[in-house]
Amino acid sequence: MNVLTDAWGWLTTSANWHGSDGIPTRFVEHFEYSVEAVLIGALIAFPLGLLTGHTKRGGLVVTSLANVARALPTLGLVVLLVVVMGVKFRAVMIPLVALTVPPILLNTYEGVRNVDPQLTDAAKGMGLRPWQVLWRAEVPAALPLILTGFQFAAVNAVANTAIAAYSSFGGLGRFIIDGLATTEYGEVAGGAVLIVIAAILNLLFFILLRRIFISPGLQPKKLAG
Amino acid sequence: MISFQQVGKTYADGTVAVAATDLTADSGRITVLVGPSGSGKTTLLRMVNRMIDPTSGSILIDGVDIRSKPAPELRRGIGYVIQNAGLFPHRTVLANVMTVPRLLGWSKDRARERAMELLATVGLAEEHAKRYPFQLSGGQQQRVGVARALAADPPVLLMDEPFSAVDPVVRKDLQTELLRIQSELEKTILFVTHDIDEAILLGDKVAVLNTGGVLEQFDTPTELLASPKNAFVEGFLGADRGVRRLSFFPSETVPLRTDPIVTLDTTPAEVLARKSEQPWLLVVDAGRRPLGWLPEQRVPADGDLQKVPAGDLVSYGHTFAVDRDTLRAALDSAVLSPSSRAVGVDPEGRVVGVATVEDLVPVIRAAQNGSTPENGR
Amino acid sequence: MNLFPHIPSYLGTYGSLIQQQLTMALLSVLFGLIAAVPLALLCVRYPKIYPPIVAVLTVVYSLPSIALFVLLVPSTGLTQTTVIIPLTLYSLAALVPNIVEGVRGIPEDVRLAAVAMGYTGARRLVAVDLPLAVPPIMAGLRIATVGNVSMVSVGTVIGVGAFGALFTVAAQLSRSDLAITGVIVIVLLALACDLLLVVTQRLLTPWNKRRPR
Repeated sequence: MNVLTDAWGWLTTSANWHGSDGIPTRFVEHFEYSVEAVLIGALIAFPLGLLTGHTKRGGLVVTSLANVARALPTLGLVVLLVVVMGVKFRAVMIPLVALTVPPILLNTYEGVRNVDPQLTDAAKGMGLRPWQVLWRAEVPAALPLILTGFQFAAVNAVANTAIAAYSSFGGLGRFIIDGLATTEYGEVAGGAVLIVIAAILNLLFFILLRRIFISPGLQPKKLAG
Repeated sequence: MISFQQVGKTYADGTVAVAATDLTADSGRITVLVGPSGSGKTTLLRMVNRMIDPTSGSILIDGVDIRSKPAPELRRGIGYVIQNAGLFPHRTVLANVMTVPRLLGWSKDRARERAMELLATVGLAEEHAKRYPFQLSGGQQQRVGVARALAADPPVLLMDEPFSAVDPVVRKDLQTELLRIQSELEKTILFVTHDIDEAILLGDKVAVLNTGGVLEQFDTPTELLASPKNAFVEGFLGADRGVRRLSFFPSETVPLRTDPIVTLDTTPAEVLARKSEQPWLLVVDAGRRPLGWLPEQRVPADGDLQKVPAGDLVSYGHTFAVDRDTLRAALDSAVLSPSSRAVGVDPEGRVVGVATVEDLVPVIRAAQNGSTPENGR
Repeated sequence: MNLFPHIPSYLGTYGSLIQQQLTMALLSVLFGLIAAVPLALLCVRYPKIYPPIVAVLTVVYSLPSIALFVLLVPSTGLTQTTVIIPLTLYSLAALVPNIVEGVRGIPEDVRLAAVAMGYTGARRLVAVDLPLAVPPIMAGLRIATVGNVSMVSVGTVIGVGAFGALFTVAAQLSRSDLAITGVIVIVLLALACDLLLVVTQRLLTPWNKRRPR
């Protein structure tokens, strides 16, 4: 039995490309859940990261939170919320968001906090108001790290959306769970390959973002999320 | 003795870091390499322990080519001190100093004993031994750096801008300490700096290097100050080189007058007599320590010094120690005093005599006219 | 509420589940570390290979575990090995950049001093470079360990999830108590491992003025 042959066989079966449980539908679902998880996460985490980073306060809380989040088992959270709340959009989105918040928060905090004080002093010296200092000096300088945070968040979202399928939910993980239930290995492998493709597309998207948004004057720095 | 023979370094792209250089650093002496950045001084230094290989010429230590043994072995026999000390942050002060002896295979006990001894030599207390580098001040770290370099008692010491990163007060201390240690240990020291004052203070001989690694002049500090060979050296020495050179001449030749000196007990008649000859009287206490200058117009009409309010005495600035200080200190003392007079004192601080700026002129001229100075520093 | 409610006997005991969870997670970290050190040192030695290796590791790190598990099943079966391989790769991805940055981050003057005192390659590595890289290496180990302890539970999808099996049962029987127990125990296990690493680091690096937290 060869994984790739199985996957290829399943992927090239035209029937799998149609309908409400076809590949395009699942792909779009996966995309939607991931994007929503990142956006909701960003709405919560980005302002908090700017605030903590700008004031240089709350570092211990931010780093501890990131650590606890890393320890949270997504699968367990999804199962728990679905058992408690039923198969609802919210039941899945809560764990997904819980795992997109920490990398955005941590990297925004670290990025803004570690901006060269000479830069912020110069900005203040030129008469910029606090929010102008943040927006015109700190955020652009911290952008490489902030984008890294978003990238980690998106990687988490894509991976965890796949896991969320375990509790009767959509997205590409569905193929794996359904395939395992019906011992259709072609479907399992095909689904896995699609998830791998989605993950790589996600990375490519971030490479593009970096090209567009990051000034060549800024060296990208790496920080794990 | 370290001899550089036609030593040069040209990089692959054609940049010349060091032009073919001949130079000899005498045994037991401090030889300073000084120059602006890009003058190849650090490159020359690092060639000695083979951190950098010259592209031409050869270097001999006591007549032996440095290439005759493997680089690590050579390096263990040469002390090396760098700008920020370069201490191993993960090792205690003691373990840092023990590094080279341990690399050379000494027993732990012997290395520890030696390290403790050296910490004392560089002026660190025993309690510093167990600390980590981050718990020390910059000056203390640099002392540890020197101790570490001396640990295996190498005959040769390379010092690459060792005191550049500490503040001026600490730097002064470290320089004095180095001279003290050197007077005991008599190492062959090659010292790199960009600070001409440091070079002149520390060097038995000073090599002035120009951009592109060109050796412009190699002389004793006094020779350098007296007769710079060209405009570059002259410019590098700075506009006050003449004054600075005076620090190589003793002040004992300065003629000192005693007639302007009066005590509070001097009789009024005597005071009035002195006043007629001297525009300034130096008032000293019973122990001949200076109290201040009294200008003639403030001398009481009856000559009774007891009546002089303390506020009428003018500060004497600073004194110079006749037996120890140099002509430069004497001149400085005169120039800084409102009376234009220098106050010479003995080792106990008792006034020996005073000299006007005019009195100093012939002495300074004699020094400039070239006889070799008798006393280095 | 009872933190350890009754579980179906085929799952085994809580003790055995915890043991399996930790075995798989920690073995992965260990294997990751063993592979990461030489790879990172190669990257330090030959800086040109570092960017492509980082690129590959970034891709590896972004691949969802559930996909890697099922893709490995035909080769390694429904075994712990199938779970350990992807987790080892994640650990490697977290560790290599940290080790490289750590060794590269050694201050230039310290490196110079080491060479000038006559340290040679391997000896310098053991005596100077690696000890100084301990803080970033430990940071990488903490990330890898915490992530792995939690991620092992995804293995329940292919039947080797250790504590994750509780989630399968919870989903099948709609038992929220089992899900809660699973989440809490896994988080506590991960944080306990993290704490152990922090303590280890403090003991290993008394010279570090920045304390880990």
